[in-house]
Amino acid sequence: MGWEEKQVRGYPEFVQTAQRYHGRPIFALFCGDKDAEGKSWCPDCVTAEPVVRKELHNMPDESVFIYCLVGDRAYWKDPNNEFRKNLKLTGVPTLLKYGTPQKLVEEECFKAELVRMLFTED
Amino acid sequence: SVQAHKEGKPQKLLEMNGQTLMPHSYDYDLIVIGGGSGGLAAAKEAAKYEKKVMVLDFVTPTPLGNSWGLGGTCVNVGCIPKKLMHQAALLGQALQDSRKFGWQFTEEVKHNWMTMTESVQNYIGSLNWGYRVVLREKKVTYENAYGEFVGPHTVKATNKRGVEKLYTAERFLIATGERPRYLGIPGDKEYCVSSDDLFSLPYCPGKTLVVGASYVALECAGFLAGLGLDVTVMVRSILLRGFDQDIANKIGEYMEEHGINFIREFVPIKVEQIEAGTPGRLKVTATSTKGDQIIEGEYNTVLLAIGRDACTRNIGLDKVGVKINEKTGKIPVNDEEQTNVPYIYAVGDILQDKLELTPVAIQAGRLLVQRLYAGATTKCDYVNVPTTVFTPLEYGACGYAEETAVEKFGEENIEVYHTHFWPLEWTVPSRDNNKCYAKIICNIQDNERVIGFHVLGPNAGEVTQGFAAAIKCGMTKEQLDSTIGIHPVCAEV
Repeated sequence: MGWEEKQVRGYPEFVQTAQRYHGRPIFALFCGDKDAEGKSWCPDCVTAEPVVRKELHNMPDESVFIYCLVGDRAYWKDPNNEFRKNLKLTGVPTLLKYGTPQKLVEEECFKAELVRMLFTED
Repeated sequence: SVQAHKEGKPQKLLEMNGQTLMPHSYDYDLIVIGGGSGGLAAAKEAAKYEKKVMVLDFVTPTPLGNSWGLGGTCVNVGCIPKKLMHQAALLGQALQDSRKFGWQFTEEVKHNWMTMTESVQNYIGSLNWGYRVVLREKKVTYENAYGEFVGPHTVKATNKRGVEKLYTAERFLIATGERPRYLGIPGDKEYCVSSDDLFSLPYCPGKTLVVGASYVALECAGFLAGLGLDVTVMVRSILLRGFDQDIANKIGEYMEEHGINFIREFVPIKVEQIEAGTPGRLKVTATSTKGDQIIEGEYNTVLLAIGRDACTRNIGLDKVGVKINEKTGKIPVNDEEQTNVPYIYAVGDILQDKLELTPVAIQAGRLLVQRLYAGATTKCDYVNVPTTVFTPLEYGACGYAEETAVEKFGEENIEVYHTHFWPLEWTVPSRDNNKCYAKIICNIQDNERVIGFHVLGPNAGEVTQGFAAAIKCGMTKEQLDSTIGIHPVCAEV
C-alpha cells in the first residue's frame, strides 16, 4: 500500500489525525508556520524539510506521515503551548515516530542517515 | 618533551599492545561484542580517535520471551529501572509521612503497576534510541546481531532472522555481561521470572516470593513491598555476601520490621502452577538447608535473584584461544584489560575478580581505548570504588568491610568509629530513631587513614560519592574530624 501524507495545522487537528490512523506506523514532522510565499519563520525547518521528504520512501508500508504546522513564532515561544505540554516537544523542527520515544530534534533532522534510521528502525 | 613523546608513541604502542607489524586490511579497527555500559563507552571513545568501530549487541530472549534494546543490563533491566522503581516506593512512603507534615488527603493512596512500568519503559526506550543516535552520529556501525568468534580476528554476526555475516578486525573487546542464573529445578524456567522480566512485567506481580539474598533480591523485594505488595524473601544462607555483614544484617532487620517476610535457610526444590493468569498462582516447595523439613507456599509471582552468569560460554572463545575460568565463566585479564590473546580485550561484569558496576565498566572501557589509540598510560583504578545498595534503607559503602579489614590488617590495627543517627526528616513522622547508621574503619598504622566508609540511611548514594573522593585522596580520621559538618543533614555525622 505504500505510505500516505496528511497535512495539518495546530494541535487539535494533529491529535485528531493521529487518532484516526491508530494502529498504523505514524511519523510526524513539526514545523513553524509558513508565510504567503511558503517560507517558514523557522530557518531550521526550512533546512530540514527537504532532507526528511527525501527519506520518506524508507518508511514501512502503511505508514502515515503527518506534516504538522505548529503555529506562528509567538505561539511556539509560549512555554505552555499544547505541543510542548502534551507532546513534550522541545524544539522545531521535530521528527518523531508517534507513540514511541524515538525522535530527532532540530539539527538532528538535517542528517539524512538519522532520518533514515528513524524511519527504518524496528 | 612533547617532541620526544610524539616520536616515542608509535613505538610504545607497537610494543605494548600486541599490534602486528604487518598491517592486514581488516574490516574494522575494533569490534565490540556487547552494547552495554562498558562496550558503548569504549566504542564511543574509539570513534573519537577516528577509528573504524563496530558494535554487536544482541539480547537472547528470556525463558519467558522477553527482550530489550541497545544499552545493556544497566539501562534496560538493571540500575535504571531499579532506581526508578525504588523511587516509586520511596514516594509511597513520603505520601504516608506527608500527613504528619500537614498534607491532607482523604483518599486511600494506591499504586498502579502499569502506570509506573509504562513510564519507566518509555524512559528506557528514549535511552535506547539515544544510543542509536549517538552511535550513528559518531559513525560507529551498530548491528543488532549475536557476535561470536569463528577464527583469528574474525567474528560471525547472526541477526534475529538468522542471517549470518562475517567481520574481521584488528582488535576485539568482549563486553558481553551477564544474565540471571536459574535454579535448575522443575518449573523454574516455565513459571519463574528474573530481573530480566520484572521491570517490564505487563501485570502487577502480586504476592511475590523473591529467591535469593543478593542486592538484586533485596532491592527488588524492597521496592515491591514499598509499592504495597506482599513480599517474602527466601534466603539460603547469608544476606549480601561480599558486603559488610554487620550492615547486611541491619538491612535485613529493617526490611523485616517493615513487613517483608524472610524464610531463612531454605531453598526451593520445585515450582508448580496452580492456575495460569496475569498473574497466576504458583506453588513453591522448599527444603531446609539444615535438615529434612519441607515447606510449601503459594504466590502469584516467583522472582529468582540467586546470581548472574557471565555470557562467555557461547561466543566462540575456544576458537581464538581466550582462556576463561571454567567454573565461573569469567575472563581473567591483566591490569590493562587484556586477555591471554593479545588482540582481544574484555571489560565489565565478565571480568574475573573485578567489581560488577556500570561506572567501573565505563571507566575501564574508556581508559583502555585511550591507551590503545591515544597513547595514554592510565590504568583503571579498581580500588576504593564506591557503591550503593538501594534497599528500603539505603546502604552506601566505599573501601573495606569491617570483617575484611580485620582479616587484612589485624583487629588491633584498625579502629572503627560508628554512630546511629536519626534523620531530621524522620522525626516528625515518627519514623525509626535507631536504624540509620554510619561507620568508618581506620588503619591505625597508617595515620588512622580511612579505609572503609559505610552509611545506612536515606540518600546513601549521594552521601557516599563525596566521601569516596576523600578516601581516594587518602583522608585520615583527623582530617575528617576537622571537616566541619553541614547542618542539618545526615552526612554531618
